[in-house]
Amino acid sequence: MIFNNIGYYSLVFGLFISIYLLFFSFFLYIKGKSNNDLNLNIYHFSLIQLFLVILSFICLILCFILSDFSNETVYYNSHTTKPIFYKIAGAWGNHEGSLLLWLLVLTLFIFLFIIKSKSQPKKYRLLSIFFQQIIITGFFLFLLITSNPFDYLFPTPKEGLGLNPILQDPALVIHPPILYLGYVGSSIIFSSSLAALIENNLGTIWAKHIKNWVFVSWIFLTLGILLGSIWAYYELGWGGFWFWDPVENVSLMPWFSLTALLHTILVLEKRQLLKLWTIVLSISTFSLSMSGTFLVRSGILNSVHTFASDPERGVFILIFLFLLIFLAIFIFFFFSKNIEQVKGRNFYWLSKDFSILINNWFMMYFLSVVLIGTVYPIFLEVITSDKISIGPPFYNKLLIPFLIPFLIIMSFGPKLKWIKDRFEMLKLYKILFFFISLIISIFIYEKLGKNNLLISILILAGIYLFLISLIDFFKSKNNLSQNISHFGFSLLILSIILNSFFSSEFSSNMKIGDQIEFENKIIKFSKIESKKGSNYNSIVANFTIEDKNKRVTNFFPEIRIYNQPNIMTSEADIKTSIFYDKFFVVNLLKNETYFNVRYQVKSFMVWIWISTLLIALGGFIGLVKKIR
Amino acid sequence: MYGKKVKLRFFFFSTIFLAILLTTFLILKSLEENVVYFISPSDVKVLPELNQKKMRIGGMVKKGSIETNSNEILFIITDYKSEIKVSFSGSIPNLFAEEKGVVAEGYLKDRNFFNAKKILAKHDENYMPPEVKKAIEDKQ
Amino acid sequence: MKKNFTFILLLVFFSLSFIILYLSLNKVETYVPKKITNKNIIKFSAQDLFSNQEVDFNNLVVKDKLTIINIWASWCQPCRNEHPFLMKLADNKKINLIGLSYKDNNKNSKKFLDEYGNPFSKVLVDKDGLISINIGAYGVPETYIINADKKILKKYIGPIKKENYFEIIGHANEIN
Repeated sequence: MIFNNIGYYSLVFGLFISIYLLFFSFFLYIKGKSNNDLNLNIYHFSLIQLFLVILSFICLILCFILSDFSNETVYYNSHTTKPIFYKIAGAWGNHEGSLLLWLLVLTLFIFLFIIKSKSQPKKYRLLSIFFQQIIITGFFLFLLITSNPFDYLFPTPKEGLGLNPILQDPALVIHPPILYLGYVGSSIIFSSSLAALIENNLGTIWAKHIKNWVFVSWIFLTLGILLGSIWAYYELGWGGFWFWDPVENVSLMPWFSLTALLHTILVLEKRQLLKLWTIVLSISTFSLSMSGTFLVRSGILNSVHTFASDPERGVFILIFLFLLIFLAIFIFFFFSKNIEQVKGRNFYWLSKDFSILINNWFMMYFLSVVLIGTVYPIFLEVITSDKISIGPPFYNKLLIPFLIPFLIIMSFGPKLKWIKDRFEMLKLYKILFFFISLIISIFIYEKLGKNNLLISILILAGIYLFLISLIDFFKSKNNLSQNISHFGFSLLILSIILNSFFSSEFSSNMKIGDQIEFENKIIKFSKIESKKGSNYNSIVANFTIEDKNKRVTNFFPEIRIYNQPNIMTSEADIKTSIFYDKFFVVNLLKNETYFNVRYQVKSFMVWIWISTLLIALGGFIGLVKKIR
Repeated sequence: MYGKKVKLRFFFFSTIFLAILLTTFLILKSLEENVVYFISPSDVKVLPELNQKKMRIGGMVKKGSIETNSNEILFIITDYKSEIKVSFSGSIPNLFAEEKGVVAEGYLKDRNFFNAKKILAKHDENYMPPEVKKAIEDKQ
Repeated sequence: MKKNFTFILLLVFFSLSFIILYLSLNKVETYVPKKITNKNIIKFSAQDLFSNQEVDFNNLVVKDKLTIINIWASWCQPCRNEHPFLMKLADNKKINLIGLSYKDNNKNSKKFLDEYGNPFSKVLVDKDGLISINIGAYGVPETYIINADKKILKKYIGPIKKENYFEIIGHANEIN
């Protein structure tokens, strides 16, 4: 009750501060005194704003912990019997709370930006703060008008409606915050690149300064996507890790754009080229992050992951998003005349700069494929009212052929010199590696059958990149971060291919006592037991799998029936080892004696997670190096 | 006539233009091939021709229609106007149950029988897939 | 020249995207049926909450009164907000208010009515929510205005508000 009020009013005051800062920073910018210190008021008010949002977030968490059902958000998303860990997580597992979290990260980042940008020109900083406060004000208004997390409920209900048990998963508890850190980081890049454009500040110094922010949001975005994928694998019980589901695509699109930016910013730093392109990428990364939020939250996307949505909220984000896009376009065209291109600098075809340019083209291609696959059904429905969905074959077909040249360029691009490199004779180890990859892929090709020539070539490229980046890792220590990320990427591609080709699946309907043979193994359904959890009852099925050497493995997949809300979920029994995961899941058919059983052997599952972690780790090492 | 630079530039832009054209063509072509249409059981009845394209059929699982044996599940999808029999072997989602919304993806055998390759149901107890809502509503 | 062209192209492109996305937002809302009015209400029968007897809905429609079906549940928060209006509607002699309790347990339904008052002349039980789906409802609360010919005059999705209340009174007054 009391926390409810505190939380609400801190948000209202936060909004006032935001509006004040908006005008104040603009006023100071117009006045434009050239002393290089920022007005102390800006520090102080940003700090107070941050404090207020943190306070309000803590209040929301307290409402959840205390199960204060006079708060509507708590009422809809919590329940007294829920474990305390998930009560706390419930605070951001819903729409209102997750937006409050967005806001928290926004205010935190702008404060960090103010502290970290001391070496930059004052006018540029003021303008960045101005743009960032526009975004923050928008989110404050969105939160307070359409999705107030502190709505008051009277009469106070005695019990809450519970949280979707699908969301009761540790990976999902940290997934949204991590992803938001990535999204929000891109807002800083957006504001400051617009400011730098207006101030004509695009150069080596600015590139060095903004690079940290690019790295930070890139790392978090990568980790966020990874966590979402892990959650889908363990919780959705389909045994897959990526479904090309619109909600997943929406987080992948800003990643492509941001990855392109991550590389472009190096060219800007070293050669002062691609200035406008950097701006375009900054704008598109942030727009894509925002549209991600819009598409997921508005319910336009027809996805397996959407839980609750409200069209009215959609309208607000949509208008806000497009206002920002139009603002950015206007600024871009109005001020891009000012940017002087450095005369006489061109791209030589054999240089690091040019290979980065190629990387950008590929990223843009991947981005447009995913974008079209995601948006096309929405557009088609409006225009022809046909309802369609676009499945994995679309993406596989369009992405796989282009991955091959991409991987090959990745294997030599980073080693080229800036500006102009000379064509060297191929080194012996490179030829050796090429033949090793060739032999392995021919071997795999033989095993896969004749229809998979393309995949085999992709494997060839993947293994080649893998070996090259492995040897570089030991040879040169100076570019560790890039090396680890590229190595991780090759590992990722290889594990995904191997995973999709060397996995086997068995599914059937079985009664208790049934015994079925599958690939020389005997699967036996021995019995079921019931178990009681803290807020659910569960049925544990006992299965044994006996292979031809009489080795027996036991599996205990579970079906949970949650009390509140009354939902049934399957908990897969997953046995993880280095080379493969064994994945066992059962489903219950109501009023039937049969259980729907699925057993999968998934190769190289762990390596998909590990390689993505390596990709992010590379970014992290780069960031640490830069800050030091 | 033209300088080397202009020629180079022209070459550069036409390459980019061709690349964009090719990309668009590729994307559109595979869009056409990989699109899965969503229809309701009533739409099946009035379909002008039966083709072998993959499609999705959505509706509610008819009460009392689920039959199971050791290798498949048989059930009926209804939009309360028309119904269609569906056979499916594979693993079903948690929330597959009678009188719940369901979307089946697969191929039509004839106007009354559908071979499903995949069953989708959303992870929300009170959820009715929008397609189902729409399908039911259109038939009212 | 070239630049201006790109600029305008971009503006047009984004404006179009905006319009399409905006339309698709409304598309989500059109899942709510609009054409349901002016159609006959389906025939159904259900158990009475208090007497547990099976009641045929046909017999509940009275010639000189406006029949209103209100789909509600004790667990539904917005239902509490509209309840005062239902109580007021119940006072009108030309209105026959029938409740349909949606996916609720009978004990809670009764407790709710004890606590807030019972505006309904009859409360029917829709335990599995199937009747409501068949009527065309997608959630609670929903309210259907039905005339003596068993035609649906109007449908309200979500809680009844003040203006809806006056509209209903207006409909009731048209009956002689």
